[in-house]
Amino acid sequence: MKATEMNSLSNDASGSPVVEAKDLRKNFGSVQAVRGASFSIARGECFGLLGPNGAGKSTAIRILYGATSRSGGSLTVFGLDPAREAREIKKRLGVVTQENALDEDMGVRANMMMYARCVGLPRADRGKRVDELLGAMSLDHRSNARIRDLSGGMQRRLVFVRALLRQPGLLVLDEPTTGLDPAVRLHMWERVRELKDTGTTILLTTHYMDEAERLCDRLVIMNEGEIKAEGAPREMIERYCPGTVAVFPKEAGLRERLVTAAAENPDFSWFEDRAGINVRGPGLAAVESFLGHHGMIPRILRPSTLEDVFLEITGRELGGDA
Amino acid sequence: MRETLSLAWRVTMRHWDVYRQNFVANISPTLSDPLFIILALGIGLGAYITDIDGRTYLVFLAPGLAISTALWSAFFETSYGFFIRHTYEHVYQAMMTTPIGPREIILGEYLWVGLKGAGMSLGVTIVLLVFRLGDPLFAWTIPLIGFLVALACGAIGLIASSFVRNINQFQTVYAILINPLFFFSGIFFPLDQVPRFIQVICFASPLYHGVRLGQAALWNDGFGAALLLHGPFLLLLTALLCPIGWMRIFPKLYR
Repeated sequence: MKATEMNSLSNDASGSPVVEAKDLRKNFGSVQAVRGASFSIARGECFGLLGPNGAGKSTAIRILYGATSRSGGSLTVFGLDPAREAREIKKRLGVVTQENALDEDMGVRANMMMYARCVGLPRADRGKRVDELLGAMSLDHRSNARIRDLSGGMQRRLVFVRALLRQPGLLVLDEPTTGLDPAVRLHMWERVRELKDTGTTILLTTHYMDEAERLCDRLVIMNEGEIKAEGAPREMIERYCPGTVAVFPKEAGLRERLVTAAAENPDFSWFEDRAGINVRGPGLAAVESFLGHHGMIPRILRPSTLEDVFLEITGRELGGDA
Repeated sequence: MRETLSLAWRVTMRHWDVYRQNFVANISPTLSDPLFIILALGIGLGAYITDIDGRTYLVFLAPGLAISTALWSAFFETSYGFFIRHTYEHVYQAMMTTPIGPREIILGEYLWVGLKGAGMSLGVTIVLLVFRLGDPLFAWTIPLIGFLVALACGAIGLIASSFVRNINQFQTVYAILINPLFFFSGIFFPLDQVPRFIQVICFASPLYHGVRLGQAALWNDGFGAALLLHGPFLLLLTALLCPIGWMRIFPKLYR
């Protein structure tokens, strides 16, 4: 064990990636959940793994912390192989699981004390560490509450406490803010940024593109078990759908005019989604002059976002598994 | 290996923590069921059966029921209990994010049901001894027998958990496997009366061997001989069932 620790320490020092996946594969029977994903996560980075439901994100994450085996490819975490050395990896890992999976049979503090024992905190430090984290997550006043009496946001914060018990080198956040109100999400983001500032490497999956855009240094978009695109959020917007979008209500006459107008100018394109009929142009000034020229007033005028990139890559239609 | 054991022990301690939170509620059926059966059948039915193998019915019933607590507590723990922790509460999913892995979870379950079975059968035995329904000389062996019976029956529960698709299907396992195991274990009547083929089947029941050992111990009647005959069978069945339970449930935790 000593050798392994030294080995992984030296890995960190040499700046080799915290996570390195090459051609990662996972089959469940005949279903290919992950079909050859390659990515690496550098130390101190916040890395996003995005994709629609059923894209293979959670499976990839579960392989990473040794909760699922892989069917092919290679994977190292802190330079160790999760298939053989999951225990050593998990000593340095914190996971905010997609389901809260809090122990309903125990109160708030008892829950965390139990997990403090599971992660191997020395007996003398457990109480102090748990209380410190409950305080940081503003849960100290609910120490003795039952889990089911906590609000959704509080339960989620408690899962954060659980993931941080051992000051992880890599924090895995599997849809950390799904179902939370905006205030709680902001609070979570602040905590995540603080952790990042202290050098914690973070792996984030989320369905919220604004979350990914704010938190991630770099991200990949997965679809149907494969990685479809990779880059920094701004860079991906520039690459896949730069510019400004004008959104119009769905009216048949308007659609015809818009399509015709967009077809005349190669800098402009159009698409339709739930928000309405959208015209995309190279920038705010260009779009404004285009609209002025055709005498059209949009309902909304907005810059392209990561969501546009996401939909561009994964498609706007609902897939079979969504 | 040492670390595996230490991590498995944390799983066991989790179950103990949960158990002791509702200690009275949890322990009352396990202790009261056998004691009431002993009272009701022993005193009620016992009025008609004055001599069974040379003893009162009350004395006849007592040891078997002490051992049967190991069956009940272990089977329920690894069937319904395991299923709820796994499927509904996601307890194991959360544990798997800590250094605990599937091996430690299964080992922790076995340790828990074994120790619980030992404790339960010991608890009932102490009550029996207080009421002079047994001989204290070999009573110390009861928790050991309870431990082995609980391991074997816990394994049966895990095997059941690996097959059921929903929690209601445990009722079928209970009806066609656990109930006959209980009633044809020699607790209520000596098995020499029943047809030969049933006796043969009973020889494959860990509870039967446990009950025979418990009876020999608490009656202080031929304990050495019982140990020679039933001890190896109980050990063998436990040693067979536990790895099967392990192999069946492992892919549910890690696939």
